Amino acid sequence: MLIRRLIQLPFILLVIYTITFALAWLIPGDPLQQDESRQPPPEIARAMREQYRLDSPWTFYWDYLGNATGVKWLVGAHDRPFDLGPSLRHENWSVNEILAAGLPVSLTLGFSAILIACVIGITAGVIGGVRPGSLTDFATLLIALVGISLPTFVIGSALLVVFSVQLGVLPVGGWGELRHMALPALTLSLPFAAYIARLTRFGMIEQMSADYIRTARAKGLPERTVILKHALKNAFLPVLSYLGPAAAAAMTGSFVVEVVFAVPGIGTHFVDAVLSKDLTLIMGVVLVYSTLLIVLNLAVDVLYRWVDPRIQM
Amino acid sequence: MRLLVPLLLLAFILLLVLWLDGRGTAAAGGGAEADLVIINRGDVFTLDPQRMTYLKDFRMAYALYEGLVRWNLDDYSVEPAAAALPAISEDGLRYTFTIVSDAKWSNGDALTADDFVYAFRRALLPDSASYYSSVLFVIAGAREFFDWRAARTSVFRAGDDAGELWRETLARFDETVGVKAIDSRTLEITLAQPVPYFLDMLCMTVAMPVHPPTVEQWTSLNASTGRIEQRHEWCKAGRLVSNGPYQLERWRFKRDILLVRNPHYHAPEIVQSDSVLAITIDDANTAVLAFEAGAADWLGDVTTEYDADMLAQRSAYIEKHREAMNAMLARGMSLDEALAALPAPQRGERRNVHVTPSFGTAFYSFNCRPTLRNGRVNPFADAGVRRAFVLATDRESIVRNVTRLNEPVQTALVPPGSIAGYRSPEGLGYDPQRAREELRTAGWSHSPTGALMNEQGETFPIVEILWTTNTPRFGWISLELKAQWERVLGVQVELRGVDTRFYREDLRNGNFMVARGTWYGDYGDPTTFLNLFHSEDGNNHRRYASELVDDLLARAAAEREPAARLRLLEECERHVFQQDVPMLVLYQLVQVSMHEPGELTGLSAHPRMMQYYWRMKRSNARNVLAFHLFCKVKSDTCM
Repeated sequence: MLIRRLIQLPFILLVIYTITFALAWLIPGDPLQQDESRQPPPEIARAMREQYRLDSPWTFYWDYLGNATGVKWLVGAHDRPFDLGPSLRHENWSVNEILAAGLPVSLTLGFSAILIACVIGITAGVIGGVRPGSLTDFATLLIALVGISLPTFVIGSALLVVFSVQLGVLPVGGWGELRHMALPALTLSLPFAAYIARLTRFGMIEQMSADYIRTARAKGLPERTVILKHALKNAFLPVLSYLGPAAAAAMTGSFVVEVVFAVPGIGTHFVDAVLSKDLTLIMGVVLVYSTLLIVLNLAVDVLYRWVDPRIQM
Repeated sequence: MRLLVPLLLLAFILLLVLWLDGRGTAAAGGGAEADLVIINRGDVFTLDPQRMTYLKDFRMAYALYEGLVRWNLDDYSVEPAAAALPAISEDGLRYTFTIVSDAKWSNGDALTADDFVYAFRRALLPDSASYYSSVLFVIAGAREFFDWRAARTSVFRAGDDAGELWRETLARFDETVGVKAIDSRTLEITLAQPVPYFLDMLCMTVAMPVHPPTVEQWTSLNASTGRIEQRHEWCKAGRLVSNGPYQLERWRFKRDILLVRNPHYHAPEIVQSDSVLAITIDDANTAVLAFEAGAADWLGDVTTEYDADMLAQRSAYIEKHREAMNAMLARGMSLDEALAALPAPQRGERRNVHVTPSFGTAFYSFNCRPTLRNGRVNPFADAGVRRAFVLATDRESIVRNVTRLNEPVQTALVPPGSIAGYRSPEGLGYDPQRAREELRTAGWSHSPTGALMNEQGETFPIVEILWTTNTPRFGWISLELKAQWERVLGVQVELRGVDTRFYREDLRNGNFMVARGTWYGDYGDPTTFLNLFHSEDGNNHRRYASELVDDLLARAAAEREPAARLRLLEECERHVFQQDVPMLVLYQLVQVSMHEPGELTGLSAHPRMMQYYWRMKRSNARNVLAFHLFCKVKSDTCM
């Protein structure tokens, strides 16, 4: 099963590549026209289009595919494998360099956010789910509702104003240390935390009324063990299946957080590239991200089986 | 137990990624100290001086490179830089530069006249795609060389001998273009005709030298197109060799750029800060917050939607201390010194935001083509109609109530006072009465039913204003224009907001009636603005064509006497803005910036907006918090 999914991978990527290319090519505008008012002479515009293979979609499509997959390198037509080309907009940088600089940042941010979300969400969910209808349950539900409803740029800006400008305890932006990560990771985690809390809560409510819990209590297990070892284990399954797409979303969807906290991740490149029709960067980001997403989903499926051996892939 | 595995795996991946990321930073040369920290709004696009088009790139270029001459930022006179001021021949055509004897590249190589010849050739090759190559077309043979090379490469077919064409190109450049290295330190530039502002143009980044051996490593000849292809990776830390006050120590994409002193720079005494850290923050709001939190010494452009409110807080502060400040100004203190000497601002006041007029103008273009894109008749093809709309516009109300930045209003394009010796003429001001008359004279009058009609019984088309949705300010202005025109002229106005990319295409294709626009000048001569009105100019999106204007521009170009030349240009601008008005000029653009008064010296307040980072210095009183991991502030300023 796993092997079949691995074999599917390149084909899925090819379809994604083709669709993205078609859409990106159709974006109006010219990536080589920089300024809104100053235009290069027509000779120059033509020379640049030829150098970057922008004169024909077919040449670009095959050329880029050959370079990106490393096929051209294998047959000796190119000096490097997996070359995603030079960025059309940031000409001093290749797409590989841009991704190498930004990907670890986005991954770190996304993963830490998910980690924080798990801690907050599961704790809140368990507290609420054990005693549904209680005041604590109501409080966690309310917080979860706020976490889901408030857009990240509002939470982010509010956190910035309080912690960085008013209190001065955390930096406004940047990247490199743990303290740079605190605010963006927290901001990014809140919507996920809220969702995880709800999933856990419903799971807990359902499990707590199950027969095996009654059995566990009847044989005199302490309540702590009953909740954490027996109920949570089963209540966690829906959370686990949510974690795959959530981790993917945390890493891809952090554009707003990256902008608000000046985090040099990939989310900003993705949007900027589309806005300026930086074809090579769009294709590079999409290819790398889709590979990542497919692999991540695969990993979650494998883990799922590990946690619950009854499930077949 | 099984539950722990996924979490542990997550934690492991996290640590791995953190380690990878940390390794990258350490390898990029951490542990540096920055004496000056500035905020760049967005990363620079390129450090290739021949390719730059953005102000933040230019500013970086003046830190890294040094041209033959440079502007004095106080009055924009030209002062010596990598060369002494040139000897100019009697006829004003031949400029002979002597390069400073101990000028060196950051790797220790001597800076030679050949390096400049190389850079000029590079700028003049269409292959290098230099946006500003036309600036150098005043050099004898330059335009012909550019056109020749463009023509030859365009007829090049695969199979032709690219090497042969390249050798021919080099030989042709040496023979026909007026840039010659007489010896290793003497450069001779010959112009096609005398250009009084040529030295001013030479201060632009396009005329800066690049290190030929470095650039050549990343240059190749494409055998199938016959063109030289440049890969731009040479502009990276560790590769870039520069000849200016600083060298590139580190450039992390969309994070920061760290400049440190170039050990081989020939005039180290002028360099005020040992290192400059430019941190990249895209978001306007975050940039302001970062400055407020003390992360930087200077924020060059504030473009938040609340900048007018910040300036209002500044006005409140100044108003409160008006008397004390006037007294200090009268004693000869600068505005910055006076502000610094005043008591600290209270709540609701501020003194760290500053507004300076810039070398640019905001306007609305009228489409001057006889018909619109879809074949409809274009009412704005008639100069009378254009005059009516300009006369119906109350600019004061716009800068006071809409932009709220109180920009200096302008009725003609060249910002007054920005170019020495040039007296900007007045265009058409606000005159509703005359506006209605102009419209009537143009054949449009109100019928009894209230509709605006001409004699053929056609109603005045709905006026469409094109604006860009990513610049909300122009949205507000467009709304105000709609209100004013509807009120004064009784026309119907609609707004069409589009994204910048669509706007650019619409502008190029003439798919607009009235469109918002801005223009920034490049060099210290009115032609940097007025060339827009030449019928064949590439940026004349209005397709405005006037034989008189073309003729005046040509006569000015041929005029040898500088004062007489400026008078011709004044006449040209007067005609454009009193008779033909192809654009409605609103106001001089302003730049809003932030620094604490008294804590940063060396800033230029001149409208031409250039800043040399090597002139800027943080005073000892200022305490800048570390923004990034490896930019620790010197302990003496921190304590």
